[in-house]
Amino acid sequence: MTTDSPHSDDQRWLDGADKMIASARSRPSRALRAAPALVLILFALAGPLLAPHPIDQPLVAPYATPDATAVLGGDLLGRDVLSRFLAGGGPLVLNALAIAALVTGAATLLGILAALRPGLGRWVERTADLAILVPAVLGIVLVALAWQDGGRLAIAAAATVLGIPYATRVVAAAAAPIAVSGYIETAAASGERLWYLIVREVLPNLRATLLALFGLRFVEAVYVVSVAAFLQLGPQPPTADWALMIRENSPGIMLNPLAVAIPALAVGVLALSVNLAADALMPKTGTTTEVPL
Amino acid sequence: MEKPRFVLVAGHVAWSALRRLAVLAVLLGVVFAAVELLPGDAASSTSERGESAADLAARRTALGLDRPLAERFWDWMTALPTGDLGTSARGEPVTRLLAGPFPNTLLLGSLALAVSVAGALALGSWAALRPGGRADRVIGVVATMAFALPEFVVAIALLLVLSLWLGWLPAVTLIGADGAPASPGMLLLPLLALAIPQIGWNTRIVRAALADQAALPHVSAAILDGLPRHRILTHHLLPGALPAVAVGVATSAGMLLGGAVVVETLFNYPGVGAVLAGAIADRDTPVVAGVVAATGSAISVVLLLADLVRARSVGVRL
Repeated sequence: MTTDSPHSDDQRWLDGADKMIASARSRPSRALRAAPALVLILFALAGPLLAPHPIDQPLVAPYATPDATAVLGGDLLGRDVLSRFLAGGGPLVLNALAIAALVTGAATLLGILAALRPGLGRWVERTADLAILVPAVLGIVLVALAWQDGGRLAIAAAATVLGIPYATRVVAAAAAPIAVSGYIETAAASGERLWYLIVREVLPNLRATLLALFGLRFVEAVYVVSVAAFLQLGPQPPTADWALMIRENSPGIMLNPLAVAIPALAVGVLALSVNLAADALMPKTGTTTEVPL
Repeated sequence: MEKPRFVLVAGHVAWSALRRLAVLAVLLGVVFAAVELLPGDAASSTSERGESAADLAARRTALGLDRPLAERFWDWMTALPTGDLGTSARGEPVTRLLAGPFPNTLLLGSLALAVSVAGALALGSWAALRPGGRADRVIGVVATMAFALPEFVVAIALLLVLSLWLGWLPAVTLIGADGAPASPGMLLLPLLALAIPQIGWNTRIVRAALADQAALPHVSAAILDGLPRHRILTHHLLPGALPAVAVGVATSAGMLLGGAVVVETLFNYPGVGAVLAGAIADRDTPVVAGVVAATGSAISVVLLLADLVRARSVGVRL
């Protein structure tokens, strides 16, 4: 799907490719697979404290090659690439985490509601049909364009709104079999309120799905936030941001390749490690390849 | 009396097309309204320094921005079928602005789609014929990883390895190039950067669809009959897997067009990405709405094709 296109990864749910590996996957190995992402996130958040030089002052010549002063060389204005690299991960990670949490939270409520109330479920399907026609990047461009001074907030809002339809469809699909099970009917018949049905009856049975959904939404959010920054839509210069660094320094890739390679490597490793973690968290039951559109 | 099958199929096709078209129309309405309702308009964002309020108002009238929203939207929508996407904030017809770049983007996108389908079918089939083997596991892990990478990271990696370290391709396409894509080499890097994540995505779909097919009795029967593996693949596994693969490929189309915008910016490829970048700077609503309309239509066509493949293999549901 796209978006979320989207660069959409919800369909990975529907992917039964590694059923056979599932049985071999135990709890400790799952924790091991989630570890790189945790380490990297902590590193990105602590990074600004480790920066040896100020991130907004020229230190060496523009695109200077690495030397003793600037270990990774200089960027387009001669600022220290190492310091900017250390400072540039935290906001990206925090932003992506916030988007993933918001999308998962909203999709959980809406998805369970859609499973309990089929009339609403049809609307979820229609909205998802609509959202598939807007590649996530274009949707974000559109919102950032209309909301001029929104910066990171505009990106986060757009990513959240565009991500919810798919995520809701995933939760609704997972909640549908639970919603028609006997104990829910009993609870509904005995007059429990809708809120109670959602939070106390259905939600606890979706824990594994929701954890995996959060992981996948985080992967997606890292993609969206970094692409937006790359298109210079979110954070503006002179902010230090990995994706923005790639964009700013790419004209000088011949002079100081590290100014581009290091942030690109960081975004790549972040995406990979989060994806690895999400994959480890994924429930391995009842997969199908029929992807609904 | 039962209707002949082709009437049912034709009805189904017409119904799918109508549904996709309706969804597209709703999307255009949402896009138009969203851009209009949020603050800032094209007249103020393209204003020159020292322009008076009266000049601004005059241009607002010239651009038709003083007319009611509903009226402008109606004009815009009714002009769409004639190929008229409206006028940009700088007074140029949007259709003319997109006439050069959009085919370039479609070329890049469809080549990348073709490469990723071919790559995914090859890798997915290779893995599916050796279930649980080393090749299967390696392909599974690499495909998952490839799909997680943003296109611009793939692009930078390719650029560093192929241009800077190996010196196979010129890195100069990164900056300063203009006009139509001059050499195949210029197309190769953006093509690979777009295709690699999608190969990952589609390989997983193909592998999973083939695994589901392999569990069916007619495939077991074919294996017991001692048919050669390639024949089982082409005659017993792939036909059944086709609908799922088609849907996966269709979702790729949207991701490819979105990714193309990014990759084009990086490689200075003369496509919609460049137009969009300019439109972003100008807050040029009609241009952005035009780009969304064009990509939305292209995605709708691919989705419709996927609908048809599914209708053909699964049969028409009534």
